[in-house]
Amino acid sequence: MNPRVILITGANGGLGQAMARSFLQESPENQLWLGIHARSDQAENLARQSPDYCRMIALDVTRPDSWKAAVAEILARHKRLDVLVNNAGDHQDALLANMSLDSWQKILALNLDGVFHGCQAVLPTMIGQRHGRIINIASLSALLAPAGQTNYAAAKAGVLALTQSLAKEVARIGITVNAVCPGYVDTAALEMNEIERKRAMERIPMRRFGQPCEVAAAVRFLACGEASYITGSTLKIDGGIL
Amino acid sequence: MNNSELKQQIKHLLVENLMLQTTAEEIADDIPMFGPGGLGLDSVDALQLVVALDKHYGLKISDAEAAKGILQNVNTIAAAIEQRPQAAR
Repeated sequence: MNPRVILITGANGGLGQAMARSFLQESPENQLWLGIHARSDQAENLARQSPDYCRMIALDVTRPDSWKAAVAEILARHKRLDVLVNNAGDHQDALLANMSLDSWQKILALNLDGVFHGCQAVLPTMIGQRHGRIINIASLSALLAPAGQTNYAAAKAGVLALTQSLAKEVARIGITVNAVCPGYVDTAALEMNEIERKRAMERIPMRRFGQPCEVAAAVRFLACGEASYITGSTLKIDGGIL
Repeated sequence: MNNSELKQQIKHLLVENLMLQTTAEEIADDIPMFGPGGLGLDSVDALQLVVALDKHYGLKISDAEAAKGILQNVNTIAAAIEQRPQAAR
C-alpha cells in the first residue's frame, strides 16, 4: 500500500482516534493530519507516539478560512492530499417544540456546513491530482431519525444527499465520495445511562454496541485502492438495526 | 513561448485533462468549448479546466462570469493566459 496523505476532522473523539490508528496500521508511513478544534488531549497522545507520520492541525470545520489555512499547510508539506474524512460532528438533542434556533443552526453548521466547506476546500487539489477519496461520517439517524434529533438527523440526512450528489459530479475525475452511517458505537459521545443502554441494546439484532475500530475499518476500506468503483454509497454499520 | 505554441499547449492540456476523444491537432483555435457544434464540454469539464489552468499557468478564474468569457475557445483561453497579472506567473 502506497503511503497517503490523510486528513481526519474531529480527530480527538473516539471514532476519529480509531480511524487514525487504523490508517497508521494500514501503512505506518501514511501521513495523518488530525483536525482538532475544542479539545486535543487524545490527538496529542497519538501525535506524540508517531511524530513523523501524525500531526495535529487546528481546524474549525464551520469556517471556510480555517479550512483554507489547514489545506494550505498540508499542501505546503506534502504537495498532495489523498483522503479527507469528514468526521467532526456533535449533537444537541431536544424536542423540536423546545429546540432553540441557535441549537438548530449550530448543529446544521457543524454537521452539514462543515462537510460542505471541507469538500470545497479539498476539491481543487483532488481535481488537480485526478484522484481523491472523501468519506463523510453520517449517522444511522439520517436513515432512521429518532425523536429528539430533528437538527442532527436533518443535518446527517443532508450529508447523505450531499455525498450522492457530489459523487456524481466528480466521478469521472477519479474522486470517490462515500458516506458511513454508524449506529450505536461505544464511544464517550454515546452519553447513555444504564437503562438507556439496555433499551438500545434490545433494538440491535447483534445485541451489542459497535466498536470504534469496526467503523474505522469500513472507512479505511472506502479510502483504499480496492474501493475505486464505489462512489455515492452509504454504508451503514449498525449491527443490523436497519 | 509565442502565441501559437501556447495554443498548441492548451489543446494538449484539454485532451489530456478532459480525456477528449480527439487529438490536439483536430481542435481549431476558435471551436466553441461548450454547446452543439463545439467540443461538447460540460460543467464538470469546466471545473477541471479551471483547476488545470490555475495549476499550469497560474490563471485564476474567480467567478462564473469570468469563466464564461475565458472558456469560450482556445483563442480566449490563450488571451487570458497572456493577459494574466505578472504576479500570478
